[in-house]
Amino acid sequence: MKYSNAWHLRDIILLTLIAIFFGVIYWVIGPLYNVLTVALTPVGLGPGANDVVMGIWVMAGPLSGYIFKKVGSATLGEFLGSVVEMFLGGQWGASTMISGVVQGVASELGFTFTGYKRYDWFSLNLSVLTTTIVTFGWDMIRNGYSKYHIGLLIALFIIRLISTWIFSGLLVKAIVKLLDRTHLMQTQSR
Amino acid sequence: MNPSLKFLLAVLIALEISFTSTWMVNLALAIIGLLIILTSRPPLKRLVLLFFVPLIPAVALAVAILLQSNAGMHFALVLFTRIYAYVFVGSAATLTTSVSDLVMSLEQNAHIPSKFAYGFLGAFDLLPKIVSEVNVIRAAGNMRGQALHIWSPQLYFKAILASLDWSENLAEAMTSHGFSEGAPRTYFKQIRVHWWDWCIMISSLLLLQIALFGLHLQ
Amino acid sequence: MATISINHLSFSYPTEDGQKPLTLADVSATFPDGGFSLLTGPSGSGKSTLMKIMSGLYPKFGGVITHGEIQLNHTPISEIPETDRGQLIAMMFQNPNQQFAMDTVERELLFTLENQCVPPSEMMSRVDRALEYVEITALRHRQLNSLSGGEKQKVALAVIIAMKADTILLDEPFASVDPVARQLLLSKLAKLQHEEHKTIIISDHDLEDYDAYIDHLFVLNGTGNSLTLLNETDAQEKMAAFQRQDTSDQQLSLPTKVDQPVITAHDLSLTAGTSTLLKQPEINFFKHHITLLTGANGTGKSTLLMALSKLHQYDGTLLLNQKEIAKIRNNQLYRQVALVFQDADQQFLNVSVAEELALSLKNSQAAAYFKERLPGFLEKLQLDHLQDHVVYTLSGGQKKKLQILEMLIMATPVLLFDEPFTGLDFSSLQTIMAIMKQVAHDCHQTMLIVSHQLFGLDALVDYHVTLANNQLQYVEGLA
Ligand SMILES: Nc1ncnc2c1ncn2[C@@H]1O[C@H](COP(=O)(O)OP(=O)(O)OP(=O)(O)O)[C@@H](O)[C@H]1O
Ligand SMILES: Nc1ncnc2c1ncn2[C@@H]1O[C@H](COP(=O)(O)OP(=O)(O)OP(=O)(O)O)[C@@H](O)[C@H]1O
Ligand SMILES: [Mg+2]
Ligand SMILES: [Mg+2]
Repeated sequence: MKYSNAWHLRDIILLTLIAIFFGVIYWVIGPLYNVLTVALTPVGLGPGANDVVMGIWVMAGPLSGYIFKKVGSATLGEFLGSVVEMFLGGQWGASTMISGVVQGVASELGFTFTGYKRYDWFSLNLSVLTTTIVTFGWDMIRNGYSKYHIGLLIALFIIRLISTWIFSGLLVKAIVKLLDRTHLMQTQSR
Repeated sequence: MNPSLKFLLAVLIALEISFTSTWMVNLALAIIGLLIILTSRPPLKRLVLLFFVPLIPAVALAVAILLQSNAGMHFALVLFTRIYAYVFVGSAATLTTSVSDLVMSLEQNAHIPSKFAYGFLGAFDLLPKIVSEVNVIRAAGNMRGQALHIWSPQLYFKAILASLDWSENLAEAMTSHGFSEGAPRTYFKQIRVHWWDWCIMISSLLLLQIALFGLHLQ
Repeated sequence: MATISINHLSFSYPTEDGQKPLTLADVSATFPDGGFSLLTGPSGSGKSTLMKIMSGLYPKFGGVITHGEIQLNHTPISEIPETDRGQLIAMMFQNPNQQFAMDTVERELLFTLENQCVPPSEMMSRVDRALEYVEITALRHRQLNSLSGGEKQKVALAVIIAMKADTILLDEPFASVDPVARQLLLSKLAKLQHEEHKTIIISDHDLEDYDAYIDHLFVLNGTGNSLTLLNETDAQEKMAAFQRQDTSDQQLSLPTKVDQPVITAHDLSLTAGTSTLLKQPEINFFKHHITLLTGANGTGKSTLLMALSKLHQYDGTLLLNQKEIAKIRNNQLYRQVALVFQDADQQFLNVSVAEELALSLKNSQAAAYFKERLPGFLEKLQLDHLQDHVVYTLSGGQKKKLQILEMLIMATPVLLFDEPFTGLDFSSLQTIMAIMKQVAHDCHQTMLIVSHQLFGLDALVDYHVTLANNQLQYVEGLA
């Protein structure tokens, strides 16, 4: 299968729809994040909730990368999702779009490092790793993670890595497997 | 203000306060954001929500700093006000602009290819259907004796298939309504960038620099 | 003015393994200029496919033309620039949703005119005229999302009128349109044909009501390898064969005292957005009976079914076996009541036909009953050869049949149907009704069926409820 890098109207609509769907599904579990945060706040671990659900939050990136197999698809997917999120009045306001780009680029890197040639378990894992590292770096700045004790920092990083691996790795792989069987995606990117 | 510039400004502000630690500036931005929000006369419920939604992450971040680091009260306050600045500045932009105006402005002023502008808009307009579709997918699962959870691949699989189907229908319909990628179009509603748009943008940013710099010197 | 001629056209949706089964094989025909043509054929024969090729959407959006071409005014469609195409040919789709890019009616019309590079100063008058023509000026500023299926189709027609397309293609445009709206749309189309000399081509299974309007009847055969223009007598014969018996004098009985209610409503009120759809002091639906629910477009039939399956909020009391529906937990509720969605795709969870059927059998409340009868049902519905097909690539009618069957297999005590018969050809319709009747009887099911199409329903349903003026009411007449 040869994939072209041009974006067509249908790809753009599809990408946006997927991003919105994921946003809405995330929204449905929004309470989960809030409950978790409230529960962890008294011991000062509130931000950890963010790391626990991080994987769900960034799933759209690797998935778009995998589905579209185009340069920039992961980034665009996350970014469009964040624009929608901002219009829905999410908890991070104007910084949502910045996070969208950061997360998008983060998961894109996994595919970039494999030259957009490999779309397999390896590149997916690489994407999981880059996503974790880059988004963690961004939280060091935005959410003041950099001031935490090193022990906590490592713990949060590991939690985030696991969460991202479960959702953006394992789950994305399972979803893609189902999709591949329908052969419906093949007509894409024509 | 011109929608494209308005959003650019909001993002630039958010970016800048992400890298600076001056709680007074954050607070001032939040207040200005709130004033702009109030001019759009949002329903009371929305306003109340706007105050409470950021509270959870804001408190969580502040408490974490107090308990888990040596950064102290000042930095906790910075993080707390930062979240509110993000949300109020963001909402000031979103509540005063319709998505279609933003999209038209991006097309006409920022010269984003129209396929991106209208592709996004067409998808965005399906939002209410998407929300109900997620519920329908879960109900359809239950009706067939299969519960779908947040970790069930089928949930996302169905969402993607619905997207695929809808994107095909929508792209075909838009094409059938004469839309063609890259073809010239006329505009019923001309959206311009006026000189005062640039003035607002530049002076806002200047003011922000002065405030940040001034307070930093203290 | 436009002549469409199809010359030895073959078209295929290539499969994954490189095969190219021909969906349309060497078909030829000429659609006369300025005529009103009806294209009919069994479900899955390729009508939608043909329409999309004529409008130039295929092969751009899928499939390949393996042979032949379609010419519009003697120019192959593929050679007409996309931007000019809108003035020559426009299409209205089977599915009224996802037809619009913008949020409001007016903006969609403007969007279309912008695409055609109409000077801004002319736009408003063209919008005004198009809306007036279809008599929907009142909908001008409405959110497209908030319109009913019928209203959306009217907007779609207004868009086409604003585009000033010479040829109008309509792919089963009335699938979700009530008889009143359908008559209105048909008469508008006839007016367009006569006064503005437009060429109109409609595809439909349901030949009723067309008699007065159409000039030509084209039939695509089941395997998509012959497209014929029927001569006058054959056409008359076919139309007459389809002429339904008049449903207006068919009588049903009213519920009796001995009937046991399974669903009970007190002071039920349903709203959608800003509009109130239902205000109902009291109504029951009865156990082990099949009830038909009818009403004009947008009166709230679908909304009621959604409320019954906890997918739409309601005010007041709505009881299922004496329990408040809103309070029953999902996994409990959906074992007692299930909804056959209007859109078949929403029902599917798996990839292939076989997997879909297997899932239903696995979780069925009457597995043994169906295990025995399934092969027979599949054969009757002509689904038996499709076992390893991907469900999402079936034709509209095939999907519908599979969807109804797999929900029947679940044997849920209360089964709600939202327009189950749309897109079914005549013989499929009769088969599926017979199966529904048999299963409802054998598995002691209660069914509530929303349908615009009434043909043959007198044999299936026991009771008839109408929804009008925000009220549900049992009636004796079928029509
Ligand atoms: N995108 C697709 N990919 C593969 N096969 C398809 C696709 N769309 C349709 N088909 C197949 O092509 C055949 C013709 O389908 P089409 O939708 O044109 O039929 P139709 O006559 O419009 O049927 P209906 O009356 O049920 O709408 C069917 O067998 C269908 O399964
Ligand atoms: N946000 C909204 N604001 C106002 N009205 C709305 C909104 N959403 C839906 N509606 C109205 O609610 C009604 C929904 O009707 P529903 O789909 O239940 O009708 P129906 O009887 O099933 O019609 P059809 O026969 O066309 O399927 C429509 O009249 C629609 O205009
Ligand atoms: Mg069809
Ligand atoms: Mg309906």
